[in-house]
Order: sequence, then structure tokens, then C-alpha cells
Amino acid sequence: MKKLQYMQEEQTLGKAYDSALMRRLLKYAKPYWVWILCCIFLLLVVAAIDLATPYVIKVAIDDHILAANRAYVVMEGSTEHPALVTIQGYGLLREDRLEDLPGGPRLELVKAEGKHFLQSADGDFVLELSPEELRELRRYEVSAILRLGLFLLVLLTVGFVLNYGQVYLLQYTGQRIIFDIRQDLFSHIQRLALRFFDGQPVGRLVTRVTNDIENLNEMYTGVLVNLFKDVFMVLGIIIVMFRLDTRLAFTSLSVLPVIVVMTAIFRTKARAAYRETRVRLARINANFAETISGMRVVQIFRQERRKFKEFEEINRDHYRASMRELMVYAVFRPAINMMDLLAKVLLFWVGGSLLLSRSIEFGVVYAFVSYMEMMFRPINDLTEKFNIMQASMASAERIFLIKDEEPAIKEPENPVPLGEVMGRIEFKNVWFAYVGEEWVLRDVSFTVEPGQTVAFVGATGAGKTTIMNLLTRFYDIQKGQILIDGKDIRTLRKEELRRSIGLVMQDVFLFSGTIAENIRLWNPEITREQIEEVARYVNAHHFIEKLPRKYDEPVTERGSTLSAGQRQLIAFARTLAYDPAILILDEATANIDTETEQLIQDALPKLLKGRTSLVVAHRLSTIQDADQIIVLHKGKIREMGTHQELLAQKGLYYNLFLLQYKEDFSAPEGARQVSS
Amino acid sequence: MGILALIVVNSAQLVMPKMTGQLTDMIAEGTFTRAELGRFCLFLVGLAVVIAVFRYLWRINIMGAARKMEYTLRNMFFEHLQSLSTEFFNRNKTGDLMAHATNDIHAIRMAFGPGIVSAVDAVFLTTATIYMMARTISLKLTLVALLPLPFMVGVGVGFGRLIHRRFRRVQEAFGLLTDRAQENFSGIRVIKGFAREKREEERFREVNELNVERNMALVRVHALFHPLIGYCASLAMVIILGYGGSLVLNGAITLGDFVAFYSYLGMLIWPVMAISWVINMIQRGKASMDRLDAIFTQRSEIVDPPESALDKLQGRIELRSLTFAYPSSTEPVLKGISAEILPGQVVGILGRTGSGKTTLLNLLLRLYDAERGMIFFDGVDIHDISLEVLRTNIGYVPQDSFLFSTTVRENIDFAATGSSLERVMEYAKLAEVYHNIVEFPDQFDTIVGERGVTLSGGQKQRIALARALIKEPQILLLDDSFSAVDTETEEAILQNLRRVFPGKTVLIVSHRISTIKNAHQILVLEEGMVTQRGTHEELVAQPGLYQELYHKQLLEEQIESVS
Repeated sequence: MKKLQYMQEEQTLGKAYDSALMRRLLKYAKPYWVWILCCIFLLLVVAAIDLATPYVIKVAIDDHILAANRAYVVMEGSTEHPALVTIQGYGLLREDRLEDLPGGPRLELVKAEGKHFLQSADGDFVLELSPEELRELRRYEVSAILRLGLFLLVLLTVGFVLNYGQVYLLQYTGQRIIFDIRQDLFSHIQRLALRFFDGQPVGRLVTRVTNDIENLNEMYTGVLVNLFKDVFMVLGIIIVMFRLDTRLAFTSLSVLPVIVVMTAIFRTKARAAYRETRVRLARINANFAETISGMRVVQIFRQERRKFKEFEEINRDHYRASMRELMVYAVFRPAINMMDLLAKVLLFWVGGSLLLSRSIEFGVVYAFVSYMEMMFRPINDLTEKFNIMQASMASAERIFLIKDEEPAIKEPENPVPLGEVMGRIEFKNVWFAYVGEEWVLRDVSFTVEPGQTVAFVGATGAGKTTIMNLLTRFYDIQKGQILIDGKDIRTLRKEELRRSIGLVMQDVFLFSGTIAENIRLWNPEITREQIEEVARYVNAHHFIEKLPRKYDEPVTERGSTLSAGQRQLIAFARTLAYDPAILILDEATANIDTETEQLIQDALPKLLKGRTSLVVAHRLSTIQDADQIIVLHKGKIREMGTHQELLAQKGLYYNLFLLQYKEDFSAPEGARQVSS
Repeated sequence: MGILALIVVNSAQLVMPKMTGQLTDMIAEGTFTRAELGRFCLFLVGLAVVIAVFRYLWRINIMGAARKMEYTLRNMFFEHLQSLSTEFFNRNKTGDLMAHATNDIHAIRMAFGPGIVSAVDAVFLTTATIYMMARTISLKLTLVALLPLPFMVGVGVGFGRLIHRRFRRVQEAFGLLTDRAQENFSGIRVIKGFAREKREEERFREVNELNVERNMALVRVHALFHPLIGYCASLAMVIILGYGGSLVLNGAITLGDFVAFYSYLGMLIWPVMAISWVINMIQRGKASMDRLDAIFTQRSEIVDPPESALDKLQGRIELRSLTFAYPSSTEPVLKGISAEILPGQVVGILGRTGSGKTTLLNLLLRLYDAERGMIFFDGVDIHDISLEVLRTNIGYVPQDSFLFSTTVRENIDFAATGSSLERVMEYAKLAEVYHNIVEFPDQFDTIVGERGVTLSGGQKQRIALARALIKEPQILLLDDSFSAVDTETEEAILQNLRRVFPGKTVLIVSHRISTIKNAHQILVLEEGMVTQRGTHEELVAQPGLYQELYHKQLLEEQIESVS
């Protein structure tokens, strides 16, 4: 089963985008569009902050650090300016801050023999600066940098907070969307008819509801909103680059196509290699599992060596595939990194040349380097998103396949109310086949009066269980009619119909909960007293009381800690708690110990009293006491009547009875099944 | 070798910022020339190539070694499992063993490959980078910039654990979701029967909500983690901007150093984040190693004698008060069974489920070990005969007719006798399954099982029969091998056997009298003891289980014929 699933997953690695599927998926996101919009907004703000950071640094470098080597102008005595520094009595202002203010001699900063001097071009004006004076000269720049630093800090903090908010909101939205889809799918499955469940392994359905929907989460959170951010970032960076310097911008962009292509190729190859490895891993697992299951046969036939060689080959195949996968990564990752580096070198080269020709500032070059680094991540992410989309589409397809299933057993348009159920059952010329025309029931007709007990007898496959399935409308018949109190069951609401019928099957299904909950199936209308009353009536109370937590004893592993007989008794109690007018009972007699068998035999008549009961009978006692016995063989009713009447006929029933009687007589313990 | 490459790469990476720094200084001081630029760029290109090449090398070497180890481990595991006894496979579920083979081995590879790499990388890079920062640029700046560092590490470790815990809870909730869905879909009949669909939707909603809650709890922490570390790094950057910037202005460091410092700091981020991840991986790898070790130290209880006392079996079997209880229980399944079977005899074993029939056959094959002095072949104790001789001379058709998913021909010739197709067909005819096989799409080359044709129970049994017969064993054990086969076909097969294997000893276990009617002797097994023995005629006359079953089965046949 698992392997088939695997193969399906491998094969449907197809389209990354299917507009029909996408539309349906987006419908689930619609209720949350406000939040999504908020997320996008927040994301954009955060992206803007990210974009601003290198710019701030550029400013710090260009306007303050490097610029600190610019020339200074001596100012008139009374000039006021925030950036004015006073050294040795002279007011000095940096050249580029002069604007319209009148200035005196122009002094350049010179370093010689380890000392700093401010001197004019002609060498007339010279000021030797002590270390403290140098620091004083730089004072404004230092404070400016500190201010910038603070600004950056605030910006980063805001960005951090907003980012957290955005991630939280996005994840929350994603979770709620997933919740909705999950609940929806589950409810839909509840409404589907049994026929749907017959055709599927339970495991597959569970995967749909759990894993496949989980895949969709990736799409909503990872792709939908972040797509905007990535696109914005890339566009934003390009814009900023062009505003800073067109020449460098072109240089940076020229490398881009190469890197994009390389990344795309890498991803494709990586995905293909990964798939190859996965398929081979599945083969290893399958071989492993099979050999372990059949280890006995292997050992008996002394084929260990050969089986090992087989496995070794599969293992080696996988190893080679995984090495190929490794190769892809080993070649491409360093290669792409190298391209990144080379791109930077190119930037240095062009930027450096521009610097030499003094047509650009260093800070700009530095900013470009930062921006280029920033650009690679979104591009990488974009290709990653492609993968996510593929997986999500595949999952979505499988999910919607189920959603598109229609419940086979339809509710009637205008349901007839059932009212108080008397319990008269009629089968009129019923023909039924599970598949096509392979009739399981042929022209079956019988009537059961209210309160009567009818026992169905016959070989396996004769159709007994089928009759039970049809009465509850688990399946619909092809020909004929089934009536309850004169009303065709197809005209009744399914819920009403099933509420009026109590079902006790051979294999009792217990839920994981307490015994009490299993009796009342979490129906709050059934009180604790009622539970105990019912349990007492069917002889279940005694053994329940002996359990450590009595009625609150948890049921584990579908009830495997309880014996088959005890489970039957609980089923009795469960049915009685719902007090249906009609009872369907499929007797289980295998694996029941003598003691519980007695309890069951005692409880049975109590259960059947006052109810219309259809029993697939295996116990002699049940059959003998029935008001009517219907003998089925190969889908047809062969004989009908009371126990005495049928014995007198000396037909099918007579023979079966002899068999049973003989067994009962010689059996050392318990009752045994009528041979089938 | 790989580790060396790693170190080379890291060293190369460390050189870069320094170079960039120097270049920047030249720019700042105006000593920058085209030639310098050219030299610088060329050098960087060379560096880039070197880095790429060595990166490739370490990947191939270290990761490659890890994968080779995975491959080898898997082989060893498989081989070892084959040597273990049936008892082991009873105790350990297939699912668990599979988990060992896949998850555990994978965890070990992750610990050795990426784990080691990351560990070495992180340690080396961190120390080297810090060294470069402190020595070649400025100790003071380094110290200041690294202030957030311990905090980052603390966050990494603390958060790491918290995240792991919350992640566990998410997995738990997901497990509950799966369970709830599984239960609902399995018990859909009851739910529909009692019209409980609405209530089930409510219960599902509960688990659904729980999942959302737990996921959000994880998000609250997880969404904080990386950004927080990033933020700390940003803080460091801001510090550098402020403090470092002023240092540059005051001439304590050059602009180039400033630029280089920034790069170095960037290089530090990854190792710090990787620490907790690495610790985790190595822990898991160790745990897996322990689990695998536990299996590797298991040994089979069934020991081959150093030398086989017999080379062949003639077919005489003797049981002397054979008493046996499975290792996991105290109740003996077989109690004091004694019997003598002569070569060439056909012996029928009759009994109800649980009477010990299969156990008896298992013991004859030594799939389980009985005590000494209980089972003898040709007068020699079973413990003194090698498993090779034993199992080559005994053919076994088990109850469950397990077939492998390979061709029909390979299944029949599973014993690898190298038989020609004609021979395989011959035995298929003997087992009365030839006419079925020729109707398959590829006849004897048809693949059986999950990936191929699904066989009926009877067809499987007959193929299993052919499989056992083709070995031409001296002793044949048939464990309820005709349960899915109708009486006519059964009779035909038995006739074939009598015709072709007249001198072979055959033990037939059945609960159908018709199968064993013509045996030389019949043993009736009840609750582990032989309660009756004799020929068919003798047993029918005695009151007891045999007589009972005989009559019952007669009646069954009558009913069949009536309808």
C-alpha cells in the first residue's frame, strides 16, 4: 500500500500551476483576505527597511568617514554652524558644507612623519594637530556617525518587531485556512456512502486528511505572500541601484541572468537526482520488508546468500544514485558561489575603475556589494517556491478528487417523517448486487411483524449480512422495495432511519475512550444512570465493575484488552442505550469463553424482547426461540417457518440442524458456529 | 582528506576580507592605481576558483564517505538479520525493524556527514575569524563587537531546546489527528449505523483546533529564533558602525580595516546558528547507533554443529517424548509426543487449531530448538545434523504460502536448483497448477504479488507446493497445504505425489479427513498430545475426535451436494 502511494507521488510530479486547482484553493483563503493584505503590507515595510540599511551605511561611509579627509576652510570668527570646529582659535568648517557662507583659506589634511597637519596648498598656512586636536576636528563626524548608528538601531528594531508580527500573522492565517480545509474534507467524507470506503484502504484516506493538507500549508504561507516580498525586493533593489549609479547597476544586472540560469539548471538537476534516489530508497525498503516477512521461507530454503546479493545490488544502485545526487550538489553549490564571488570581483573592477576616475564614491561601491548579495536570496527562493508549488498542486489534486465524490446514498428531497416506529419490516421482491449484475440477493420477499424475532440461517455468502446492510440503507437496492411501517426507506431521512435501527455486528468496533463513552457514543442525552442500567440489564455490569476504573476504564487499541465476549456485551449495552425499535444482530460465537457465553445467552432474549429483531443466527438457542426462521442459500430464500415446521420438512434446515446439534452435543466448551 | 580541504576553504575565505580591507585603504589613501586594482581582482578570481575547487573536494570526500558508510551499514544490517532465528522475528515487528533500517541509518549518516562537517567548520571558522579580527584589526573593537555573541549562543541553545520541545508537541498533536481520522474511517459503519456523524465532526474539530494551537505555540518561538539571532548580528553591526566608525575617524584603525571587519562579522553568523543544530544531530546519531548496536549484538539461539553427523537423510524420523514450549511462554505446546516414522511412509496429522501441529513441523525444521534427545533423523539427534543438510533434505510447504514478488518460475525454483523451464513446468503439473499458470499474461514469466498478478489462495498454495517439490527432498512436510484447494484437485495432487515420490517420507498436517485417509499412519493431536493413532479404518471405528470429524465432514459434503 505504502509503495503504491510512493509511486503515485513520484509520478504526479507534474504541473506547478493548475489554474482550476488554484482557484479552488484561493477560495479557502478568501475569508482571510484582510489579514493577508496586512501581511503583505508589513512584509513590504520590512523589505523597505532591509533595503534602506545598506544605504544608511553608504551615507555613513561617504559623508563622514571618507569625507573626513576632505579639505577644511577657515571661517570668519562669528560664523555659526553645527559642524564648525574650533582649533587653535580658528573656526574650521569642512569644504563641502560651505554652501553660501564666505570662507577663508582652504586647508588640506596631510599626514607626515606620523603627525597630522592642516596646510594650505601653497604651504603658507600650517597647523600642526595634536592627537586631541585631531579628535576634536572629527568630533562632528563621530557624533554624526553615532546618530546614524542610533537611527539604524531604531530602524532595525522596528523592522524586527514588524517582521515578527508579520510572520505570526501569516502563520496564523495559514493555520486557519488549513483548519477550514481539513474540517471541510472530513465532514464531506462523513457524508459519503459505505461503498466509497469499501474501495479504499483506510490509510490512504487518512493521508489525504493529514499529510496532503499539510503540504498545502507550505503553499499558503511560503509561497502566496512571500512571493510579493521577493518580487518587491528584487524590484526595489534594482530601482535603488539605478538611482545610486547607473553604470554599476548595469554591471550588477549583467551577471544576473547567468546566475538565474545556473540556479534553475541546478534545481532541475537536483530535483531529478533526488527523485531517482527516492525511488531507489523505496525499492530498498520494499525488498527489506518483503525479505523480513518471508525470512522463514528464506531460511528454510537456505537462500540467505542469494537474497543478500539481491539486496546488495539494490543497495548499491541506491548508493550510486545518491552519489550522483551528491555530485550535483558538489558541483553546483560551489560553482554558484563562485559565480557570486566573480560577480563581486566584476563589481570591484568596474567600481574600482570608476573610483580611479573619481566619478564615484567608495560608499556607493560598498552599497552595491551589499545590494547584490541581498538580491541573490530572493532569486534562490523563487526557484524553491517552484518546488513547493509542485508538491502542493499534487496534493490539492488528490484532495479535490475526494471532495468531488458525491454521497451515493442520497437524502430524499421531501423526506417522509418516520414518527413513532412500530417496527413492521417488509422486503418486497428485492434484488441486490454490490457490483454490476452479480446478484447477492434474488427476489427476496418477507415480512416481519412488530416485535417479532426473525433468525436468518445459511452458508457464508448466502446473503444474510447483506440484508442487514440494506435495511440501514448502507447500500441501495437495484430492484424491489424495503418498507418500514409501510414507508419505503428511501423516502426517509437517513438519520431518522438509522436512529430507529440498532446494530450489533460480529466484530464489535470500540472507540478509544472510556467504556461509558463507548456505550453512549458521546451522546450527552444518555445519562450515567442510564448507562449503568443498560449495562446491568445485559449482564455487562458485573465485569465492568471488576475493572480498575470501572465505567471510566479507558479502552485501548480498539478494545483488544477485553475478550470477544465482553465486547459483545458492551455492544449489547450500546444498542440498548439507544433503545431502537428495530434491532439487527449478527451473532458472534467464535472465541467466547464459557462464562461470558452464559451471560450472553441470558442477555439475548432481554435484548430481543419487544423489538423487531433480525438476527443472523449462529446459536442453536437463538434459532430455536425465533418467531420465524428464514433459510437463505445463494441469495434466495429456500425455507421459511418456525423451528418445528422446518424440522418436519426434513430439508436444508433439517440437515443444518443435525450438524449443529451434533456439534453442540460433543463440543467440550461453548457453542460453535454452524459450519459455513 | 576532506577535512583538510575544509580548512583550506575556510582559510581562503578568511583571506578575502583582509584583501578587501587593504584595497579600501589604498583607495582611502589615494595610493590606489589601476595596476593595484587589476592585481587585486585577479587574485580574488584565483581565490574564488580555489575555494570552489576545494569546496567540491570536501563535499565529495566527507559526504561521499558518509554515504558509503550508510551503504555498508545497510548491508551489514541485512546480513545480520538473516542469521537471526524465527523467535527474533516473532518478537520484533517488521515495522520496527524497517524503522531501524531507514531512520536510524539515516540519522547516523547525518551525524557523520553534515554533522562532522558543520562541527569542524563552525569551530574552525569561529576561532579563526575572531583571531583575524582581534589580531589584524583591533582587539578593542573585536571585544565590543562580540558583546552580543554570548547572548546569541545562549539564545541559540536555549531556544533550540524550547523549539525542539514544542516541535515534539506539534508532532504529538499531528499523531492524534491521524489517530482520530484513522479510527473514524475504520469504524465508519458503526458511526453511520448509530447516526453519529455530527458528533464525530465535533470530535474532529477538537483535534483540529489542538493542532492549530500547538502549531502556533511553535510559531511563537520559532518565528523569534532566526530573526532574533539576525537582530543580534545587526546590533553588532550597528556597534561597529558607531564605535568602529569613530575609531576610523580617530585614526585608530583604517577604513579598510573597518570594511574587512564588517565582512568578518558576517562570516560569524552562520557558525553560531549552527552550533545547536550540530549538537542535536550528533546526539541523534549516537542514539541511533546505540539502537543498531543492540540488534547487532543479538545472536541466534540455533547453533549449527561444527560437523554434521549425516550428509543425507534417508527419511526415518523418531520423536521421543517431545515436549516443547515457546521461549516466550511457560505453557508447553507439545507434551510428550512419541512417534516413529519409517522412510517412505505417509503420515497424517490431524488436529484442531492450536493443537500444536505447526509447532511440530517447525521443530523438525529446527526453526525453533527442542531439547536434546527428542528428535532423531535416521537415529541421529537433530542437534548433530547441520542446518544445511537438514533443510536441503526436507521440503516444507507452510500454511501461509508466502511467495516473493518475482516471476512464477523464480518462485517455483526458489531453491535455485538451476532447473530448466521444462523441469519447472513438470513440477507445476505435479502440483496441479500448470493449467492456471499458462493462462497468465506472461505464463511462467508473470510477476506475482503487489507489482503483478494477484493469485488466489489455492494458486499460491500449489505454487508453494511445486517450490518444495522441485528440491526433490527426502522428507516432505505439508502444513495444511490444501486448505484452499478443493477436494478433487487435492486428490489429484496426492495421486501425483504417490506416483512420483514413492519412497519419500511425507507428513501431512490437515484438519480434513479426506486428505489423510490413505496415510500409512495417522496421529491425532489434541492440545499438544497424541490422543489417537492408527490407520483410517482403525480410527473411524474408535469413538473420539477422529470419528466426530469424519461424520461432520461427511454431512458437509452432503449439504454441498444438495444445494
